[in-house]
Amino acid sequence: MNHLIQFSSSLQGYLAVGAILFALGIFCVMTRKNAIGILLGIELILNAAGINFVAFSKFRTGLIDGQIVALFIMLIAAAEAAVALAVILRFYRLKQTIDADEASIMRN
Amino acid sequence: MAQQALLIALFPLVAFVIQALFGKKLPRHGDFVSVLAIFGSFAVATPIFMKLLTQGHVFDTFEVSWMTLPGIEASGRLNSSVNLVVGVLINNITAIMLFMVTLCASLIHLFSVGYMHGEERYHLFFAYISLFSAGMLGLVLSDNLLTFFMCWELMGLCSYLLIGFYYKKPSAINASIKAFMTTRVGDTMFFLGIAGLYYVYGTSNFMAIYKAVQVGVAHDITIAGFPALTLIGFLVMMGTVGKSAQFPLQVWLPDAMEGPTPVSALIHAATMVAAGVFLLIRMFPLLEASHVVLPVVAYVGAITAFLAACIAIVQVDIKKVLAYSTISQLGYMVMGVGVGAFAPGFMHLITHACFKACLFLCSGSVIHSVHTQDMREMGGLKSKMPITFATMFIATLAISGVPGFSGFVSKDRILGGALAYSMEHHGHYLIPLLGFATAGITAFYMFRMIYMTFFGHARDEHKHHHAHEQPLTMTIPLMILAGLSFAIVFAGPTGIESVDHVMPVKWFDQALEGAQQEMGIAEHLSPEAEAVHHQAHGLALMLSLAVAGLGILISSITYLKHLINAESIKKMVGPLYTLLWNKYYFDELYLGVLIQKGLLNFNRMLAMFDDKVVDRIFVDGWRDVTMVIKSFIGKFDDIVVDRVMVDGTADVTAGGGWIVRQFQTGKVQQYLVLTVMVIIVALFYANLGLK
Repeated sequence: MNHLIQFSSSLQGYLAVGAILFALGIFCVMTRKNAIGILLGIELILNAAGINFVAFSKFRTGLIDGQIVALFIMLIAAAEAAVALAVILRFYRLKQTIDADEASIMRN
Repeated sequence: MAQQALLIALFPLVAFVIQALFGKKLPRHGDFVSVLAIFGSFAVATPIFMKLLTQGHVFDTFEVSWMTLPGIEASGRLNSSVNLVVGVLINNITAIMLFMVTLCASLIHLFSVGYMHGEERYHLFFAYISLFSAGMLGLVLSDNLLTFFMCWELMGLCSYLLIGFYYKKPSAINASIKAFMTTRVGDTMFFLGIAGLYYVYGTSNFMAIYKAVQVGVAHDITIAGFPALTLIGFLVMMGTVGKSAQFPLQVWLPDAMEGPTPVSALIHAATMVAAGVFLLIRMFPLLEASHVVLPVVAYVGAITAFLAACIAIVQVDIKKVLAYSTISQLGYMVMGVGVGAFAPGFMHLITHACFKACLFLCSGSVIHSVHTQDMREMGGLKSKMPITFATMFIATLAISGVPGFSGFVSKDRILGGALAYSMEHHGHYLIPLLGFATAGITAFYMFRMIYMTFFGHARDEHKHHHAHEQPLTMTIPLMILAGLSFAIVFAGPTGIESVDHVMPVKWFDQALEGAQQEMGIAEHLSPEAEAVHHQAHGLALMLSLAVAGLGILISSITYLKHLINAESIKKMVGPLYTLLWNKYYFDELYLGVLIQKGLLNFNRMLAMFDDKVVDRIFVDGWRDVTMVIKSFIGKFDDIVVDRVMVDGTADVTAGGGWIVRQFQTGKVQQYLVLTVMVIIVALFYANLGLK
């Protein structure tokens, strides 16, 4: 238990969380049919990156810049979500579905 | 002098050019151009001859370098590179020849104006005989065999053109081709002989050859195993055999009588055919250098003289009689040169030219008058054509060897030389035997011709009625030529030496002695040989007088008095007559055996070779080879280039495209999976690298 606490408050702990989050995000992006689900997976990946930035900022550099990048990532995630939702909305209008596999009209 | 002498050949050449280009448009079709040109030549030749008469000796040369042929190595020659120097050689022989040729040619030109009057292509006739005169005079003037041969061929061409002058007569065309082709055989060998001379001596200049022979250069050189000088001697002799219609190439001259009669007189009696003998005389030192050539020359001459004289007996065409007598007399000249009777041989050339030209022109006069050449349709023309009869009779006396006439002098000396030759060598008796027999036969057939033409009754009244004497342009040449048929022109008044020493005429003998010294063949007889010669000449005089008298006697009995019926004799010796009438079947032999069996088969063989080997194997074969190569290259193109390279490139790109296309599913998630996998693999290998 003590080890666990020690681990969780160490860099490796944060990185582990980040990695798990990233893996879940990747898995989500790869497996979901639903475009909104994929979008959620992308958010997870972005946040995993954000955690890593913050962790490295606290445990390695001690400077504020990593945390600022984390804030930027959130900002970009919000913007990305807005754009992606708009794309999905337009796609739904076009195909009456939001299945990502259907988005293959550029093929052939 | 030698440079001016060039004019002699140039005048007729210029006349030829003028006649050939403008002859048709000139007044009188330009006959005066040719006549003036040849008289101009005569005018230039006369002073040279006069100088010979007054000074007893002329000699001059004029040379220009034509070109140099370097680098042909051969042993025994005088200089290392062949320097072609051509020019003019004037010596005693040239002077006499020039005078004789220009005189005969001038008179024959004059005669032609009358004889050819109104003929079609009148201007061309004069153009041709002008060109011929240029050739003959150029040949006489040449100081080397190269220009000699060119002029020789020029004469051959003119002979061909003039024999075929009546180009609408198939017989004339055939005769011209026959003459040209037959002489070609001799000319080819002559040319090889000239080539041999260049090989051995590196020159063909007469004076250089005389000197080389005298010094003894190249006596041991061989060509293809034969002694060079003997080989060259025979080749040169073959040139004479072709041109002078000697056995076995005598067949063309009788047929050459298809040409106009002045042509027969000028070319086929007086000059061109004598050029062959002239060649022997020019080359005499070389022929003498080999011991084999001259006897052969003598036999060729003797055989020719006899064979041709026999044929002449049975001829009924007046020109054919004269043609065979020409061959026969040329045989005498050749025989004379062959037995070493060099001067008499040359003398006979000159005397024969004069009296034979006269005979031919007389026959032309007769033919022009009665419009036939067949003597059986003539007869009794003596009173109708007195000048023609008189001149022809004089010329006949000359050719028959009657003392007091030119032919007797030269013929007697040749026969004396032949007899002396066989007496000296204790053999070769056939040569004088044939010579004397021929002399008798000659007298016989010449008087037969005279009797059949001029004596007796007219066998064709209509033709006899229309016969008339010819105008002066035609009779004056006859009279001049008949005048030259007297012995006094060349020797004493009778021609018999023992009689003539009272009133000797020595110019010819002196001129020839000078020439022989120049050529290095002056005779130095030992006293014994002198005695033999003296004895032989005495005997020959008796014999030649006897045979000529006998010939004339038999002829008179048969054809004048008709005591012997010629027809019954003809029947008595039937096969012999047939043999003679068919000219010993020489034409059949040459045409049937040589040409049809030999040459034609050879030609067929060549044609077959052409067809089977050249066409089939080379041409078709090459086609087959190219076809194979073509199909191979076609396959290569089809398979390798098209299929493999062009289509292959397309297939590769298409296949590559197909492979790459498999990844382009358009499914975002698949792309992502791939990306992640690639990143994982990349990181794995990056880690490996770090460690």
